[in-house]
Amino acid sequence: MASGSIIEMRGLSKTYGSGSKQTVALSNLDLSVNRGEIFGYLGPNGAGKTTTIRLLLDLIRPSQGGATIFGLDVRADSVEIHRRIGFFPAELSLWEGRTGEQIIHYVASVRGDTRGIVKHAGELAERLDFDTSKKVRDLSSGNKRKLGLIIAMMHSPELLILDEPTGGLDPLVQQTFHGMMDEYRDKGKTVFLSSHVLSEVQAICDRVGILRDGELKAVESVSNITNVEFNWVDVDFRNALPAGLQQTLEDMPTITDVSANGSRVRMRLIGDFDPLLRAISSGYVESLHVEEPTLEEIFLAYYSGDKEKS
Amino acid sequence: MTGSVFIETLKQTWKQMVYWGVGLAAMALLVVLMVPLFDMQSMATLLESFPPVILAMVGIGDDLAIFTTNEGFVVIGFFGKSALIFAVYPVVMGMRISANEEDNGTSDLLLSLPISRAQVMVEKFLAYAVSIVGVVVLIYLGLHVGVVLGGVELNVAALAEVTFYLIPLMVFVMAATMLIAVLARRRTVALGIVTAFVIISYMLQTIGAAADGTVAESVGAVSFLTYYNTGEILSQGFIWPHIAGFVGLSAAMLLAALYRYEQREIAV
Repeated sequence: MASGSIIEMRGLSKTYGSGSKQTVALSNLDLSVNRGEIFGYLGPNGAGKTTTIRLLLDLIRPSQGGATIFGLDVRADSVEIHRRIGFFPAELSLWEGRTGEQIIHYVASVRGDTRGIVKHAGELAERLDFDTSKKVRDLSSGNKRKLGLIIAMMHSPELLILDEPTGGLDPLVQQTFHGMMDEYRDKGKTVFLSSHVLSEVQAICDRVGILRDGELKAVESVSNITNVEFNWVDVDFRNALPAGLQQTLEDMPTITDVSANGSRVRMRLIGDFDPLLRAISSGYVESLHVEEPTLEEIFLAYYSGDKEKS
Repeated sequence: MTGSVFIETLKQTWKQMVYWGVGLAAMALLVVLMVPLFDMQSMATLLESFPPVILAMVGIGDDLAIFTTNEGFVVIGFFGKSALIFAVYPVVMGMRISANEEDNGTSDLLLSLPISRAQVMVEKFLAYAVSIVGVVVLIYLGLHVGVVLGGVELNVAALAEVTFYLIPLMVFVMAATMLIAVLARRRTVALGIVTAFVIISYMLQTIGAAADGTVAESVGAVSFLTYYNTGEILSQGFIWPHIAGFVGLSAAMLLAALYRYEQREIAV
């Protein structure tokens, strides 16, 4: 196991069916998640995020490769691993006829420290403004998800595995959740969070892995991925655009998506600024605005194949 | 913690256990209260007039005499007639051991806790077995209340044996349902197979009992219902080899289900 890593996946693969009906859900995944980081696992629906998480939880079995958590094999040592993790499933289903309080007691009793866990669950319920006395069948989907988060976090696990945790939560609760994740990081605990809400990943994660069609396309720190890829650049000239500038920009290999509007030109710049600065030096530049791409744009760039160009 | 799933399962099940138990107990009570209304001699004449296949359908073999007693009347009126109903409750419980939780998705959360699949399954199996005992005890109480209220002369001890014999039978059906559900993975598929299993067993038992002394009799031997022979139990008491068979097969199916559940993937 790599030093400091909590989750290690090596050649992790999962296929369903056989022959011509074979579907590759996850292909040869190599990934390490380090202690104390919040790792964002990004990908659209069907990319393989939930498959990865179900493999880590030993709910399904890999076709090839394997994984360890805390250095323990996810299959052979699943009970010990489950003792130290908290899990929030994407398709959260709870026992409809039971109240939040009853479910919390049930899960706490399986975990074995009912009093301490229930006390902490009460604190979490207060922070999330959740009423534990209602039956699950009477809860809104947002409140069910609050209960799911409480169950995942109430025993203060070393590792949280959260599969699309904030869908259906209102913005205020999402903000509270983000604060909780920051506290987890501050305590040196680890979070593995799958999401397709890129702004959320951008706000709380340290690193992201981008998954597409079962293949891990990239693993980067959030700060790196937003810095190294490309920038949107707006240049305002005092007068009209210098003659032939738009064509010059369009011909440059590191510039795409050039659009001119009066004395303003907007473009996507990949890499260094120097070639651009030289190209626009023929006019009087009144202002130059650089806008970092959102993760969503980076994400789409990976998917459209633009990464190769960059 | 050991026992948590067992206790929670009982908490989630006790109401259904009471509903089923009270319902069946009410049926039993009604049958007991009807005993004084019938002339058993006429009953014997009536039974003799029926073809064997009709008698076999309500659990009567060639031992007609025993069914012309008060106890025999209760056995025909309640236990024989309700054979399929007794199979429904353990099927419902057997489906809950794994299939229902997989189908509705709660198994993902449950199995992410520090508890092995085998322990979950064993604790649930035991909890539902306890609920079966509860249902059977309520049935017996229904019979007993009927005897007291109606002042009916009945050999309660003999009826107790017929009643409590239901426990291994129902646990067997639950174990079979659990195994089929674990193998089939999908709740609807499992339910279809189990329903077919129970109905075919009922048909085979009926054919076997009706075709006494012929080759077809051996067909009935493969039906589990054949080993819940109320006439024999009434006359001989507990038939221990049959009970041992139910217990042994239930244990074997539990082990097979545990092995398969541990090996296979949890359905999405």
